[in-house]
Amino acid sequence: MPETAVAEAKRRETLTKIVKLGNDLVREIEVQENPHIDIPIRGSANVHFDEKRKKIVLGDKIAKRYLFNVAHARRFMQTMLVASYVKKDLLENNLTATLRDLYYAKKHTIPGAHEDTIDEQKESDIAIVDFEVALETFRERLHLRAEPKGRMAGDIVVMDRVRDKVDKIDLSRMGSGGWAVPSIVEQIEFKDVGVEYVLVAEKNAIFDRLNEDAFWKKEKCLLMTTAGQAARGARRLLQRLSSELKLPVYCLTDADPYGWYIYSTMKYGSMALAHESDRLGCPEMRFLGMSISDIEHYELKNVTIKAKEVDIKRAQEIQAYEWFKSKEWQAEIKKFLDKRIKAEIQALSSKSLQYISKTYLPEKIRNKDFLP
Amino acid sequence: MAAAKTEDAPKTASQIESEFKEYSIAEFFKKNRQMLGYSGEARSLTTIVHEYVTNALDACEDAKILPEITVQINALSATPRSTEIGVGDGTTRAFEIDDEIAKAASLSILVSGVEKQRGADYVIKYEKKGKNSVRMLSFKNDAPSAGAIVSAKWAAGHLKVSVEDNGTGIPKSKVGQALGMLLAGTKFATRAQKRGQQGIGASYATLFAQITTGKPTHVKTSMGDKVFECDLTIDVKKNTPALSNEKEYGQAVRKFKGLRVEAEFSEVAYDRSEYSVFEYLRRTALANPHAQLTLIEPNGQMVVFPRASTKIPSKPKDSKPHPLGLTTSDLIDMAGVSQGRKITSFLTGDFSKISQDKIDELKTLLPNIDFEKHPSKMQWAEAEAIVNAFRKIKFYNPDLDTLQPIGEEQVRKSLKNLLEPEQLSVIERKPKVFRGGIPFLVEAAIAYGGKAGKTEEGAINGEVMRFANRVPLLFDAGNCAITEAVKTIDWGRYDLKNIEGLPIVVFVNFTSVYVPYTGAGKLAISAEEEIVAEIRFALMECAREIAVYLHGLQKAENAEKRKQIFFKYLGEVAEALHDVTGKEKTVLIEKMKKIAEHRTSLLEQEEGAEEELEEIEEEAEEEIKEEG
Repeated sequence: MPETAVAEAKRRETLTKIVKLGNDLVREIEVQENPHIDIPIRGSANVHFDEKRKKIVLGDKIAKRYLFNVAHARRFMQTMLVASYVKKDLLENNLTATLRDLYYAKKHTIPGAHEDTIDEQKESDIAIVDFEVALETFRERLHLRAEPKGRMAGDIVVMDRVRDKVDKIDLSRMGSGGWAVPSIVEQIEFKDVGVEYVLVAEKNAIFDRLNEDAFWKKEKCLLMTTAGQAARGARRLLQRLSSELKLPVYCLTDADPYGWYIYSTMKYGSMALAHESDRLGCPEMRFLGMSISDIEHYELKNVTIKAKEVDIKRAQEIQAYEWFKSKEWQAEIKKFLDKRIKAEIQALSSKSLQYISKTYLPEKIRNKDFLP
Repeated sequence: MAAAKTEDAPKTASQIESEFKEYSIAEFFKKNRQMLGYSGEARSLTTIVHEYVTNALDACEDAKILPEITVQINALSATPRSTEIGVGDGTTRAFEIDDEIAKAASLSILVSGVEKQRGADYVIKYEKKGKNSVRMLSFKNDAPSAGAIVSAKWAAGHLKVSVEDNGTGIPKSKVGQALGMLLAGTKFATRAQKRGQQGIGASYATLFAQITTGKPTHVKTSMGDKVFECDLTIDVKKNTPALSNEKEYGQAVRKFKGLRVEAEFSEVAYDRSEYSVFEYLRRTALANPHAQLTLIEPNGQMVVFPRASTKIPSKPKDSKPHPLGLTTSDLIDMAGVSQGRKITSFLTGDFSKISQDKIDELKTLLPNIDFEKHPSKMQWAEAEAIVNAFRKIKFYNPDLDTLQPIGEEQVRKSLKNLLEPEQLSVIERKPKVFRGGIPFLVEAAIAYGGKAGKTEEGAINGEVMRFANRVPLLFDAGNCAITEAVKTIDWGRYDLKNIEGLPIVVFVNFTSVYVPYTGAGKLAISAEEEIVAEIRFALMECAREIAVYLHGLQKAENAEKRKQIFFKYLGEVAEALHDVTGKEKTVLIEKMKKIAEHRTSLLEQEEGAEEELEEIEEEAEEEIKEEG
């Protein structure tokens, strides 16, 4: 089966954007102007929370990257290397590559200088992000893959495509490990959906526990682990499950500021990837647990951990974020700051191994006991 | 006034004079030679040359002649001498030996008249003896037998120094007085600004030659017509000159006019260190652009420090003290010896810039003081009140013509001539006074690049050149007002942070009729507050100009660096652009090079963009981290 028409159209569109950027630069050179690339500024200075769309979005501030500026020259050159590689090596051949592939492909010693085009992969990684925001596109469209991360299990069948090969995958038959979420999920199609909601756990251990207990089967849910901060593939997939299949998505993290932030990144997007919030955000997601109130409610006090200074600092930062301004979250953060304790989800195992699957989760979901 | 002004000097001339009465002159000299600059072999030589050269410069200036001075140093070996070191007792192997003998140019050790082999039979080494280390002659095999006389046959290396000038010459009758009598100079009596000050210099050189080699100083002089030559020694007991081998003759063809002094010295050494004759003459040339100095070194090499200007400095006038900066005790001292019959005439007569108007102002300020009484009747409290009142009255600055600075233009010419610096900044400050109303003036210059600075072991070092009345001060830098000023300036403010490591010459000339030296050796200027402050101001002014230049240099350097950076990446950018657009790579490179050339000259570009870029970088890094 050849490339779908949609995929090809998208690929052509990206190619056109790259050639246009190149032609703009050539034109500047022709008229003897300092060639430049416009790069929207990311980060707190140019990021705000869109209350209506429930998303962290990028402002309209733009930095100009000049070739003939001492501070920019090297980065400009590296951005051009990315452009060349993406166009000539990836898009034109319809291939995808990892960030590391690009790093090795473009790293070499500059003729006549004792200097490499790229020293560390970090440099090319940054150039890639610059290039994707400059083109107002995203990494997947550049055929660049991040490291895949995240696993899934549940009563759902998906169609995946590796170039011309199409695979039908039954996520209810993936054994103990579950299905590995690929780094690019645009091509995934959902078939035979037998689930009623999605449960995302921050931790691999929780996924394994619930998978072993066949929790997803009993509860008719799609189980997922992000294994820490969610990768792009996982986030995109969650968004598609939420928006295309209208499935409720519940999130399960440790009861601490880092858990909250992992949740908020999946829900609203992140400051650094604000330009991709439209593609990666999942505004309908709910925070199931673990909350500080759960510690009292489920009598987990003796298995809590004393909060460290960094936890307190992080909590105070989060307290100030626009997207944590709801009164429920402010109360939750305040409780944390008052009590200065945190807890891992595994704390539930102090009751019994299956307490989470047999008591905690069913009860929480039934009572709709979650935070916005 | 003289007594008041020398109170800080460790030894005043009158003290020295009185000490002469107590000791024999030779004894005094041996005791005090360090104080007079005769310590260390290289330094002694520099001191000798200094005495001759300053006299020569003064002589030429007196006669309005452009000085041409030739200094020649020749190495000679002296007649061997024999000295008994000790007598053997059959067991003693080590004998203390004089430093002078141990360091002699040629040395043989004899035991009972039989010469021993150095290395095989004996060694000479340092040994601790109490706090001092002494040289020991140590026999390796047999100790000299009882009664055997251990002696040394040795000869120190001698240097012959001759200095010739084209000045006025010395009248035949005054030769002995000028070069063979201590404290017989004419300068000491007046307040006029002179290089030498105490009339002991050249005569000490005569004495030093006599002591170290036993040889007389040879003098040849002519005031234009007849030439007079003689040998000169000093009768150390009577402090009187002794002339011998006198001859006088007319000259037919080549007209010799001036003075040539020639003397042989031991315990001196020639090198090119920072305390050397070479450095001394180099600096003398810098401060005396009207002089042409020639040095013939012991190896026959001739070094000429060429004249940079034909302007002869005008002769300074004698000056009276200025009322500002006067202390109460100065005023009391002066009042005690004044010729004036009233305080009013004392003040107008013995000071400069005190007119009848100023006396009237003073009277208004001090209605209770009787200005009509004899100055010697002035009370301490009255003197104090007068000194305080002086500070409230606006006086004219001290006369500039009492001071003889080198002059801004002359300094500029001179430093350009000898240092060929990339950048030069010269400042002449206005005259000021320090204690006792003594006028002084500071000239300073900073030369950057070119031949400025010393190269030592491949590294460039900055130099501070100190001068007092145009005379280079090579020694005792640590106690000097100039060093103090240099040390206390925050050079970092002028982009000259590591001043020791820069190709830089800091030049300061302190001009005054009275230089407050820290000692009779005239090595350093006393670090008095007013003087240090003036030097600091002058240097900071110079440094500002240099900073402006360096800043420009930095800009140019940056421009070149920018260009290099731009050019470096053009190949990569062109290739990528070719991949993306299909445009010809070489054409792109050529066109980009043109832009680069143009942009390089535009220095302050897109500063804001740079800031924004940093922000992008930070955020992008955060993102990568977040994604793991």
